[in-house]
Formats: sequence, C-alpha cells, structure tokens
Amino acid sequence: MTTLSLAAKSSAYSLAEGLREPAAASSIRRGAPDEWAREELLLRKLGPKGWGRVYQFRNYYEPGWGEKGRVLSPRALDAFFRFLEEATFAAGRTGPSVFLTDRGGIELCWEDPNGKSVQVEFTTTGAEFYKAATDEEGAVAFERLAPLARRLSG
Amino acid sequence: MPLAQTEDIVRAVCTDKWDGERLSPSLFVGENISVSRLAVVPLPDHWELFRQYVQKPPERRLELIAEINVGRLQNIGLSQILPVALTVEPKPLDWNPAHAEIPQKITRGLANKILPELTLHHPPASGRE
Repeated sequence: MTTLSLAAKSSAYSLAEGLREPAAASSIRRGAPDEWAREELLLRKLGPKGWGRVYQFRNYYEPGWGEKGRVLSPRALDAFFRFLEEATFAAGRTGPSVFLTDRGGIELCWEDPNGKSVQVEFTTTGAEFYKAATDEEGAVAFERLAPLARRLSG
Repeated sequence: MPLAQTEDIVRAVCTDKWDGERLSPSLFVGENISVSRLAVVPLPDHWELFRQYVQKPPERRLELIAEINVGRLQNIGLSQILPVALTVEPKPLDWNPAHAEIPQKITRGLANKILPELTLHHPPASGRE
C-alpha cells in the first residue's frame, strides 16, 4: 500500500511538493500512505467497529484513564498492525474484538474455526498470546509477530 | 486479613474491556487487580460509585458489573495445573470503602478460566445514559 503517492492524487499537491526541499517531500510521501494503508487494513480485517474502537483508543484515552491506565503505546500499536497484515480471520458470526489494556497494550480476541478463543495482547516488547484449544500461552518478540499471526489465525 | 470465601466481589467493566459482544480477558490479567466488596457496598450502589469514579464519558463508559464469589475464584486458581492460591485483600480507598485487591499474578490462561464464571450485571434500565 505504499504505492499511493501524493502527486498522483492531486495536481495541487504536485505543485506544493515541487516547492519543498527534496528531503521533506520524500518524508511526506512515506508518512501519509502508511497511515492510509493502516486505516484500510483496520477496516478490511476488523470492520468499522474495530476501526472505530482503535480510533478511540488512540485519540481519547489520556494518561491515567480508568484506575491506573496508560495511554496506548505506539510500539504496541505498531506490533498490532504488523500482526494484522499477516492475520486471516475465519468468517464467523462476529469479527475479532479489540480492547485497550491497562498497561497501554492493545488486545485482539477472536474464535478459531471450532469456536475456541484465541487472544493476542500487543505490548511494548512484542505480544502475549493464548490459544484456548490447546490451553497454550506464551510471548513473542516483534520479529516473530508474522509467524505467530500465520500460526494463530490460519 | 484476606476476605472470607463467602464474600462476593465485583469489578467494573467499561467500554475499553467490553465491545458489546466479547469481554476482554485482560479484565483479570496481571497483579493487584482492583475489585469491590458487595458486603460493604451493595450492588445497586456500585452503579453510581463506578459511574462517578471509574467511567470517563463519553468514550469510557461503564457497561457492566462483573461479579464472582471469592471461594469460587480461589477454587479456579487451585484447579490449575500449576495451582495459584488467590486471595482478596481489603484496600479501602477514599472514594470506595469497599475497594480490595487480588495481589497474586493472574496469567492469561487463568483469566480465561475466571471469565466464564463471572455473573454479568447490566445497568438498571433507569440508570442508562
């Protein structure tokens, strides 16, 4: 999804880009499409409800929310998106649910094809997971998120 | 002194832990989980207490109150392959004299055994916002 360029979207943007320093223009080209891609990914994998909840967690939960709540960690959110890119959720009665955890993580819950719960919490260091079918729980670092996504959601 | 097995405890469930279909297991994951004692403050009064001090509208709203018996909670902990002796310790706060905590670490696997045993109370019809 990084192929979307500002120049292709609007001639007004092309003119503005032409007036900028090359380094600044390239950083803008990289940033905006990534955010668009993330929004699209959220909608595609979690639907409007999941998209809306993530939006609220990112924008409206301030430090100290709840009892001892921490704001959503950018690293946890990054891990969440890395996982979502690789995950495939079986079409079921309800889509995956997304929650904000007190320590500033983001949690994804769904059911496997046999109706057994699967859960992953994304944290500042990676992810913690639980698979009810095998009563298996564990933790993985950032670099192991893609294999975990394929294993849990396939 | 830990709470007696006969006591019932509750925990506020707000929108960050409930999306209308599923309850977040993280509601009971971790250490020093905050709960509240029905023996000190009755359930109907907990709605107002949690609305005033726990929820933060418009985004974080109180949706449910989850209840479990202390003895039942302890039995779940002890029935694990690696048994956990859970206790509930009174920790009164200015805003909530019924406040208590579960000091032991509750793993995600154990939390998943606790969740199905919770009694979920929905807000009284007149109390909906």
